[in-house]
Amino acid sequence: MSIKNSVNISLSVNGESFDNVTVPTRQHLADFLRSQGLTGTHLGCEQGACGACTIEMDGKAVRSCLILASQANGSSITTVEGFDDEVMEKVKNNFLKHNAFQCGFCSPGMLMTTKEIISSKKKLSRDEIRSEISGNYCRCTGYQSIVDAIEESINEIN
Amino acid sequence: MKAPDFSYYEAKSLSDAIKFKSQDDEAVILAGGQSLLPALNMRLSSPSCLIDISKLKDLSEIKLDDNSIYIGALATHNQVMDNLIIKENFSSLIEILKMVAHPAIRNKGTHGGSIAYGDPAAELPAFAVANNAKFILSGLNGNRTVEANDFYLGLFETDIKPDEILVGINYPLLKSNEKIVFEEVCRRHGDYAMAGLIAKVKINQSVIENIILVFFATGDRPNLTFNTSKLVVKNGYDYSSLKKSLSSEIDFAGDLNSSAPMKLHLATILIGKILKKLEN
Repeated sequence: MSIKNSVNISLSVNGESFDNVTVPTRQHLADFLRSQGLTGTHLGCEQGACGACTIEMDGKAVRSCLILASQANGSSITTVEGFDDEVMEKVKNNFLKHNAFQCGFCSPGMLMTTKEIISSKKKLSRDEIRSEISGNYCRCTGYQSIVDAIEESINEIN
Repeated sequence: MKAPDFSYYEAKSLSDAIKFKSQDDEAVILAGGQSLLPALNMRLSSPSCLIDISKLKDLSEIKLDDNSIYIGALATHNQVMDNLIIKENFSSLIEILKMVAHPAIRNKGTHGGSIAYGDPAAELPAFAVANNAKFILSGLNGNRTVEANDFYLGLFETDIKPDEILVGINYPLLKSNEKIVFEEVCRRHGDYAMAGLIAKVKINQSVIENIILVFFATGDRPNLTFNTSKLVVKNGYDYSSLKKSLSSEIDFAGDLNSSAPMKLHLATILIGKILKKLEN
């Protein structure tokens, strides 16, 4: 039986390969990403409530504070730094246009959740948008401008 | 906060995981981790080792038998919600899952994980008890089946033995005159409820013939209340008699947001809300 307190993982982050990196078993994925200089992923609560650390893992939005780095072995990850395609450029521009942030702490998580909303191809009402982003806290905007930006992004892209 | 130190073992197969777990009392199973990791990060739990079973893909099957639906323990909440069998035969489960956390958590959190964790405030344990679900546990000596209501023994305490792992859940199919209704009170959509109620109702010519009431976020486990159910069938909604009955059947435990008397009040009015839903 092998019991260890560190493991070696290989994964892809924003298209870049990380091969055989040694991580402590107790380290969560957000801390791993940040330790690699990818500080766009923010840590608010570290208990899955605030949504600031939301990233995309194998095509799905997940909380990186609730996944161990060791569990990410073999996965493909996109963080906010990897948002350089045409769709996310449009989303980012809509966030800018509507002032959908003030301090910016929640923005990486909000953008990540928006990405999942857009890729679901659903036409959502404003109420439904609010329900989709209910797992992302913003303490500045009062959400109105964020819903505006997401609504315009859905209309523009889908 | 950060999780305490523990070791990590990625199970290669179910029997491998069972063997490992049977040899270490302090080891815990890691499935989706959406309840376990917050508990670790908040240092509410300090296991010796996490046995990661999340990559055992054959544990996430969902299938329909003659009179039941089987959900593999590792099916994620979103997989269950998107599944055609569930959509066609068990839509009440989809409606319940909409109240479980948030989309990003439902991408990772598993059905079996939520059942086995035994959080008294969670929806799925109460849903399983209301449906008289059967849990399939796999151990060193093979499989055994436990009825949902016998499974929950106390606060986060279940009937899982040290060498056992929950592998699947069997829900009996609803008959045409049965339906599931539910209601909960919570401070924010997706949060844990301050009090919640799931009811399985048998209706005969628009009269309630039988009602199974299971409350959650009220005591130390999903609370099945026989006497209160009888009162509801007999007298309908009468606040004071139902409140009295609930207070004798449930050992209410307060939490940060709601005291025990408040939970008792909320549980009582939830019965009224459910009966109102049934009228419509």
